[in-house]
Amino acid sequence: MKHKQYLIIAVLLMTLLLSACASNTGSSDEGYLGTIKERGKLVVGTSADYPPYESVNEAGEFAGYDMDLIREIGKRMGVEVEIKDMAFDALIAAVQEKKVDVVIAAMQSSPERDEKVDFTIPYHYQKDAFLVAADSTIVLNKAMDAAGHSIGVQTGTIQEQWTLDNLVPAGTSEDQVFRYERVDQGALDVKAGRVDLLFINADPAAELAAELGIKVALVTDETVIGGQSIALPEGEKQLQDELNRILGEMESDGTLQQLLETWGIP
Amino acid sequence: MGFLQDLLRLFPYLLTGIGITIGVTVIALTTGFTLGVLLATLRVYGGPASRWFAATYSLIIRAVPVIVVIFILFFVIARFVDLSPFLSGSIALGLASGAYQSEVFRGAILSVPGGQMMAARAIGMSRSKAIRYIVLPQAMRLAIPPWSNEAAIVLKDSSLVYVIGVAEILRRAEYVSARTLQPFLAFGAAAVIYFALTFITNRVLDYLERRYKILM
Amino acid sequence: MSEQTILRIENLHKAFQNTEVIKGISFEIQEREVVVIIGPSGTGKSTLLRCINLLTRPDMGRIWLEDLEITAPNTKVDQVRQHIGMVFQDFNLFNHLTALQNVTIGMTKVLKMKPDEAHQKGMWELERVGLVDKAESYPAQLSGGQKQRVAIARALGMNPSVMLFDEPTSALDPELIGEVLNVMQKLAEEGMTMLVVTHEMGFAREVSDRIIFMENGDIVEQGPPKKLFYNPEFERTRDFLWKITELYGKQEPGEA
Repeated sequence: MKHKQYLIIAVLLMTLLLSACASNTGSSDEGYLGTIKERGKLVVGTSADYPPYESVNEAGEFAGYDMDLIREIGKRMGVEVEIKDMAFDALIAAVQEKKVDVVIAAMQSSPERDEKVDFTIPYHYQKDAFLVAADSTIVLNKAMDAAGHSIGVQTGTIQEQWTLDNLVPAGTSEDQVFRYERVDQGALDVKAGRVDLLFINADPAAELAAELGIKVALVTDETVIGGQSIALPEGEKQLQDELNRILGEMESDGTLQQLLETWGIP
Repeated sequence: MGFLQDLLRLFPYLLTGIGITIGVTVIALTTGFTLGVLLATLRVYGGPASRWFAATYSLIIRAVPVIVVIFILFFVIARFVDLSPFLSGSIALGLASGAYQSEVFRGAILSVPGGQMMAARAIGMSRSKAIRYIVLPQAMRLAIPPWSNEAAIVLKDSSLVYVIGVAEILRRAEYVSARTLQPFLAFGAAAVIYFALTFITNRVLDYLERRYKILM
Repeated sequence: MSEQTILRIENLHKAFQNTEVIKGISFEIQEREVVVIIGPSGTGKSTLLRCINLLTRPDMGRIWLEDLEITAPNTKVDQVRQHIGMVFQDFNLFNHLTALQNVTIGMTKVLKMKPDEAHQKGMWELERVGLVDKAESYPAQLSGGQKQRVAIARALGMNPSVMLFDEPTSALDPELIGEVLNVMQKLAEEGMTMLVVTHEMGFAREVSDRIIFMENGDIVEQGPPKKLFYNPEFERTRDFLWKITELYGKQEPGEA
């Protein structure tokens, strides 16, 4: 989708524009956390097209592991949770601009993202997976075996970056890298034989494989550089501490594990 | 299992997005219309400074993809005024459409014969009155065919506001596609709705054109 | 005759891109006078009319409308034009308005008359040009002659102190010229002060009080029609009149 590229240009442009004028919304001693508590509402950004983490169910409600997780966090903070859906690429800018308070979207922290926003401790480590068509003869024993094949990735993801950093120098040509706005588009192309591999997170990969009758060729953690974290505005230490505290609590009291089971995530 | 059944089940859900699509389109077209007429008038009748401003605005906005305009306005303008994504998206789309509409109206104003302005001045109308009562009413009528083209484009561009989180028809189709993995069904249904909307809009504008046609 | 001077023009000059179109013209028009300007095309007759109602700004010279010098720097041009009716060669009716609306729009938007008042006066002006039955017609539905008569009614609606006609019949088919000339003759008889640029020699001879013969941006001679037609001072005047009469025929108003 070509307007994706325009979006990236826009994000860059904005970053330039906005870095010039610093924002100053933090009010009380608690900083931004105080603002949220005063307001009584946590505004959460997501991109609801990534089941089982975030999607919109038949009733039109936001559903998924991340959604339940953030609602539980809201409950423990004593505030309401309002979820706003937008394009994945718009999420980082949205949190930078405080259009949303936090972002939860199966997002991993990366050096590039870390420059613009802060992240909580990881709440989930997810492996990556390569999908191939049901009749594919491609055998992958390690991630680097993917070099040389045409490969689909989701735009703006860690997998896209890893592919460019590792597979392209190892023999995959730039023309062989196909970027999709959504993972299901890529999966359908794998099924139709238009692309050899699809390189995405392991959980949606398992789900897509089951639904579409395609194969998971490799599940690996070689490519994983970080866990999934919640993004928040830069420098809001109190908010970060509060979120980390609650995540730790949910880890130790078994809530996180329970949520994973609810959503069938291994 | 019925493909048709699925489709029928899908429609009511997608149709809840139709209000948003129409809302965005109407606000954008109205904003764009006001701005477009103003810019076109400045372009044709303004002094050097306002002519330059109008031409530059039109040039820059038309050179930038609409989605970028939406994105920038959402984050930059909304910094100073607290607007909902729906409103800021609609207005951004309107500001972009204003540039295109200004070209439409400029062409229409220029095709109103010069004698009309002269005759209006001759009966003592000021320039602004002559523009308002004589030139613009005729230009509007001449502009209907190219304007309906722009209206159809804005209707389709209204889907771009999804990037800032307005769940109109297309974004809803994406939700369904991600959930059911039947993009054909989801986007096909969305296409049918867009077609119906465009069709109705064009019909209404065709009627207006016939109704207000001026013979010259 | 102690009638008031309606229009006084003094040493008027106008050039377009270094070509002098009007070279120092001076003349006066008295109240109720009908003056016809004749002369070869490209002589600056139309430019002269446009200078008089300031649609074109003269380079030099002064113009008085009654007692007001309208070429003075602070003149309210829009107000001045209300008092000078202008009829164009190609009618310039407002295409999106009916005949009646063409006549009333100036009354409501410029003179700020009430709609029903304007409607009444508009119908009366259409009556004067014999087009009451076309009140609801749009310009595209009217013949050329009818369009020009509506244009005359439109100008009359503003109660002008003088009417300027810029070749009002030149764009018309021959059989439609008569109806327009008849209306103009009727106006003259009602006592309207008129300045008419035309090639209609019949009208000039029968209706005008004075003819001005212009050539190359200057007045060659002027005088009552009888004098110019039968006893002109200059050979050039005689030549022109002879040629133009051959070319346009000798149609009299009322003949068509």
